[in-house]
Amino acid sequence: MPVSPFTLCIIAIVLLGVLGLPIGHSMIVASIFYLLLSGLDLGTAAEQILNGLFNSYVLLAIPLFILAADLMNIGSLTDRLLQFCLVLVGRFRGGLGHVNVVANMIFAGMSGSAIADAVGIGRIIIGMMTKDGKYPVAYAAAITASAAIIGPIIPPSIPMVLYALISDASIGYLFLGGVVPGVLLGIGFMVMNSLIARRRDFPVEPNIPMREIPKITMRAFPALMLPVILLFGIYGGVMTPTEGAAAAAFYALFASTVLYRAVTWRQLYAAILTSGKATTSIGMLIAGAMVFNYVVTIENIPTALARFIGGYDLTTAGFLLLVNAILLVLGCLLEGSTVLLVVVPIFIPTAKALGIDLVHFGVVVVVNIMIGLLTPPYGLLLFVLANMTKQPLSAIVREAAPFIIAAIAVLALITMVPDTVLWLPKLLNYKGN
Amino acid sequence: MTYAQTVAMGRWLRRRAENVLVALLTTMFAGFIIQIFYRYFLNNPVGWTEEVIITMWLWTVLWGAAFVLSEAEEIRFDILYSNATEKLRRICTVVTGVVAIFFYGISLPATYRYVAFMKVERSAYLHVPMNLLYSVYIFFSVACICRYCWLVYHVIRGAKSPATDPAQIID
Repeated sequence: MPVSPFTLCIIAIVLLGVLGLPIGHSMIVASIFYLLLSGLDLGTAAEQILNGLFNSYVLLAIPLFILAADLMNIGSLTDRLLQFCLVLVGRFRGGLGHVNVVANMIFAGMSGSAIADAVGIGRIIIGMMTKDGKYPVAYAAAITASAAIIGPIIPPSIPMVLYALISDASIGYLFLGGVVPGVLLGIGFMVMNSLIARRRDFPVEPNIPMREIPKITMRAFPALMLPVILLFGIYGGVMTPTEGAAAAAFYALFASTVLYRAVTWRQLYAAILTSGKATTSIGMLIAGAMVFNYVVTIENIPTALARFIGGYDLTTAGFLLLVNAILLVLGCLLEGSTVLLVVVPIFIPTAKALGIDLVHFGVVVVVNIMIGLLTPPYGLLLFVLANMTKQPLSAIVREAAPFIIAAIAVLALITMVPDTVLWLPKLLNYKGN
Repeated sequence: MTYAQTVAMGRWLRRRAENVLVALLTTMFAGFIIQIFYRYFLNNPVGWTEEVIITMWLWTVLWGAAFVLSEAEEIRFDILYSNATEKLRRICTVVTGVVAIFFYGISLPATYRYVAFMKVERSAYLHVPMNLLYSVYIFFSVACICRYCWLVYHVIRGAKSPATDPAQIID
């Protein structure tokens, strides 16, 4: 039986990837291989990447959200925000764990990247949590990693921008759809933290005197304003989400340089360079996915799959369950953006055919992929925190397990009850698809 | 030129490439600020900023991938590769490197023809010939070929194989 060019292309991607070629390059190289086998013009790869990058205006939100997060991290915004959260939830048992989760929820309203949140907040809170041996280092690392996944679920969100690109769902409504699941995750993590804190007798933070509270709130005020500006800007119809991202970056720059005067030129340069590199590495994945998705489209794979699954009489719930299971497994092995850009597009026509709302589907997929950042062996957040705290990966994984369970419970809930996701978008005139 | 001089020059060039990347991203950011300012404060939307912004985005991705991103910062499928022995990893690096050189190499003439052909089109606002805007892809292709030649050559000569350092991946 002759092997089709498409099969060889898939084999090439997997093989090159497993042998260690960066994933973006693997997709580009394998797609050129496909073009060669099918006798198509080899310049098509360049054409797809160049036109794809040049014409997807929505993708511009990505570098800007990255930049906004990096600019916030060099200023003292994070520090002030944590002080404010200490006032809110520090007095409960396991207080600093709660502070960690709440700070991430507020931070999530300005940043769209889990890694940036983990680095920015983690750098400070892990020091606070482990000072005088209050909390085990691995526990501090585990809760920081877990809470960071809320970042891209509460808007703004880089993965949701990527999902909007592949599904044509509205970014604005996707963002809104993430709010309730994000809050649910926060509550889930705080419940876990209370249970663990009680059992292991984690400390309570000393009470902050009443007269200090207005001062601390004022100091945090500019940081707290950013989510408000973003929400009103985007949903008041003043700005597009992309422009909202630019406004967020500008506000972060303004707050750290003018209001807090905490930034040197050197730090600013370093922050922009870091953002540039992050933009490049995610951009390469997008570039690879653009050529590969072109191949997938001319081969008509998604329609074939839709027909195949249609033949099995799968119910909506059955399909969602299947997709969740597949993505959770893939999330253990692959980096999130790769899954989102390469695997998820294949499911979208089937989801449509089954009448699943694409905003609901998108939020479920993004929450699922964020859990992938926490699951071994390849959970990026675990690596980042292991490196930051110099703890063995296995210790962090063990401490993170209860939080992963809480996150999967939330995932199951939002999968089965679409209104948890769609309630807020519908409140703001979302008609569904 | 001695080896040390070559390395020093490489470092110097890398820093200049980083300067360019920072300039591209800063220009993109400035473009957005100008666009928002004109539209909402002067009530006079301008179109050229959008074109500048999107060009900067295209260039940031391909320029960064060509000249700035180090091997450790690339996103890889790491589970098998990073647990293999160093000897096996070097074989992998040579094999994938040669494959990449081959395919970027054979597509280079067609890529060049496509980019050159785009001179017939001009961008909507600034009327820049598209072959100029798209020329970054040629830099990218040639740089990839050179990078993988360099990598394969040095790994064969006994340098360590590259690996993704997950802690260096930014997102």
